[in-house]
Amino acid sequence: MTNVVRQAHFLLKILALLFVFAVATPGLAQQRNSDNSVNPTASSVKEDQLLQQLKIINGRGTIPDAKSYNIEQPAGRDWRQFHEVTLPWIATIAILLMLVVLVGFYLSRGMVKIEGGRSGRLVVRFNEFERAIHWMTATCFIILAISGLNITFGRQLLLPLLGADAFASWSQFAKYAHNYLSFPFTIGVVLIFLIWAGGNIPNSIDVNWLKRGGGIVGDDHPPAERFNAGQKVIYWIVVGGGTLSAVTGYLLMFPFYATDIAGMQTAQMIHGIVGALFVAAMLAHIYIGTIGMEGAFEAMGSGTVDENWAKQHHSLWLEKEISERGRDMPDSRHAATPAE
Amino acid sequence: MKSFILACIAALVLAFGAAFVLDQIQKSAQAAFSSSVSARV
Repeated sequence: MTNVVRQAHFLLKILALLFVFAVATPGLAQQRNSDNSVNPTASSVKEDQLLQQLKIINGRGTIPDAKSYNIEQPAGRDWRQFHEVTLPWIATIAILLMLVVLVGFYLSRGMVKIEGGRSGRLVVRFNEFERAIHWMTATCFIILAISGLNITFGRQLLLPLLGADAFASWSQFAKYAHNYLSFPFTIGVVLIFLIWAGGNIPNSIDVNWLKRGGGIVGDDHPPAERFNAGQKVIYWIVVGGGTLSAVTGYLLMFPFYATDIAGMQTAQMIHGIVGALFVAAMLAHIYIGTIGMEGAFEAMGSGTVDENWAKQHHSLWLEKEISERGRDMPDSRHAATPAE
Repeated sequence: MKSFILACIAALVLAFGAAFVLDQIQKSAQAAFSSSVSARV
């Protein structure tokens, strides 16, 4: 008899425990529907469960733009991780790596000199229109690059130096400059494509030029036409990178005109990566056009180069020019190369 | 030098033109917080 009473007491205790458990955790019973999907109106539901099922969490609002009611979405988290962590790392590695390579190259190779010195005879490489287009695009690019890098690195690098007020003013100015100067930059890229596309189609001469190091690696100076393979690479980086930057930039400048929030996040990611790689590539271009090669800057500075420089770096082009126009023709203004 | 100055002038002219056009097309952020029907708070 005593055993029966004990067993009855034990069963009652078990039932009491089950009852207390069920009453104390009503959310567990309400979080899922009969088909095992999440019930969003349950009195207690976990944020992550909602996010996984609905892919977005919406609130309510009173301002006209209903898109602002979106509170949270997984894609937004991925995008935030990209522009706060991944992009700064990509830009840092690309730019610093390029600077290290260029400094190392300069220390080991030095400036590429004009062999045999200057002849004193000048050859026209760029007419005024070409140089103006180049400098318009280049000037805009430098300001776009600085103002763009400010978005990625400004808060970490400049804010502690300038203080909040000055950094806010500078960033606002940089943002306006970035938006407005994108237009002359884009026009410049289009014009660069149009005026120099014909001479930048890769051919077998470029393969030979690359195999022989292009006169940069070693002391060999392989023949080249108006544009050598290195210049063609720079040209297509400018055209391709400029086009990608412009298209993705205008998608961001005109939000929701052509795409939704996911499209703009993708556009921003492409814009950031292309911009960082573009800056790194242009550092190499600036290097070889200034301290990396004697006589190269003159091509974009005055528009003329020394004949010995042309013979060394663009022998096929020089032969053609001399055969067509003769030597030291002061009016022999003609098309030339975009990048040295 | 002449081509560089020309380039800068061209860039400025185009940039100011772009600023004018953008001001015509883009709405102020203030527009997002107001309505033609009533004030939003």
